[in-house]
Amino acid sequence: MARVLIVDDAAFMRKVLSDALASGGHQVVGEAGNGAEAVASYQQLRPELTTLDITMPEKDGLTALAEIMAIDPAARVVMCSALGQESKVLQSIKLGAKDFVVKPFQPARVLEAVSKALS
Amino acid sequence: MSQNQVTPREALTRLGASTAEAIAQVLEQFVPGEVQRGEVSVLPDGATPFTNLPFGAVAASVSYVDGVTGANIFLMTPTGARALAAAMGVAPPAPGEAGAGEELSELELSAIGEAANQMMAAAAGATSVVLGQEVEISPPETRVLDDPGSAVEIYGTAPHSTSTTFVITGEACRLIQLVPSAFVVRMARAIDELRMEQTNPADGAQAGDGWGQSADRNAGSISLRDALSDINLRVWAELGRTRMPLGQALELPLGAVVDLDRASDASVDLYVNGLRFGQGRLLVTDDGEWAIRLETVAGTASAKPQGVGAVALETK
Repeated sequence: MARVLIVDDAAFMRKVLSDALASGGHQVVGEAGNGAEAVASYQQLRPELTTLDITMPEKDGLTALAEIMAIDPAARVVMCSALGQESKVLQSIKLGAKDFVVKPFQPARVLEAVSKALS
Repeated sequence: MSQNQVTPREALTRLGASTAEAIAQVLEQFVPGEVQRGEVSVLPDGATPFTNLPFGAVAASVSYVDGVTGANIFLMTPTGARALAAAMGVAPPAPGEAGAGEELSELELSAIGEAANQMMAAAAGATSVVLGQEVEISPPETRVLDDPGSAVEIYGTAPHSTSTTFVITGEACRLIQLVPSAFVVRMARAIDELRMEQTNPADGAQAGDGWGQSADRNAGSISLRDALSDINLRVWAELGRTRMPLGQALELPLGAVVDLDRASDASVDLYVNGLRFGQGRLLVTDDGEWAIRLETVAGTASAKPQGVGAVALETK
């Protein structure tokens, strides 16, 4: 079980992720709707794992990822991307993301990625 | 440059077709078997694309913001939007609950926005392949158009536009693309370059047969067959797939054996410019070259066992 921060601009996706993580016994300690909120929430909450959307208003996921990794090089971040954003996924791996899941996803895939990132 | 330069109309039709294909594939994951894709209509230059919108239409818009620019507005009836949100797991308010039978909830609208995000990300990926340059999208914006006439004020106009119809769970939907002239020029040039890259016209002839969906003609639309029949496309067969972590892929040694997800006697997928076109059996011709005997073609129920296409084999 891990303390997780969910970052996605869509309330719908935050709920889907929250439900999936809860079903795996994880605790959602915070939610953020854009990259700027994500960085602020990370600093405040210091979650054990963060799920991070890529396309978001104000500050996108890649920028937020770079800032989170600068704050905490040991941060465990799993990217959530839509089909067609493969190049950004590669960029995020280079920036330090542990894994990624492609939307739409099954809850089991989220839990698998989280488990792998935490191991 | 080529002697047969792509016209703006061809470029727009191609853009509309690849976008529609990507969108349909994403929608199929939400509502399997309940997505029908109609014709791509290239609207007359300067035409207003937002005509005959139903009252309370739900509009989800995503823009291309880098690489190229342009707006994509997916328009749905309230009933269709509610059905799509329900298919994504957002149940409508039950009879007797607050909001039952009324306008869509914030969570339903958010689900529609997320669907638009995923649809247009896939479409941007397809467009990126054609342009040879990454295309970035904006976050989605979803709203209910209580006044259908306000759509032009909200989304503006563009020199070019396309309209593509869909039927999702029995409800009519429409994708409007507002396309700046620069985008059309880039698209036309990219298609032109693709044509010039082709050295085997037989490939294009095989591919072109599968694009036309209807012989219907009307003044405002152009069929895909008409627009694309002379474009040479890349055709390849896919033997199978697998997944592995990036780190494992990078460390694969020479001589490594990678298991794929298909049995050796299973049919293989035939792709036309990135879109799955059909399935068939791998053959070896008398000349010792690989060929595919087509057994099914996407979008048709009939098998075509007589078709043998000699195609280049590319592993993906």
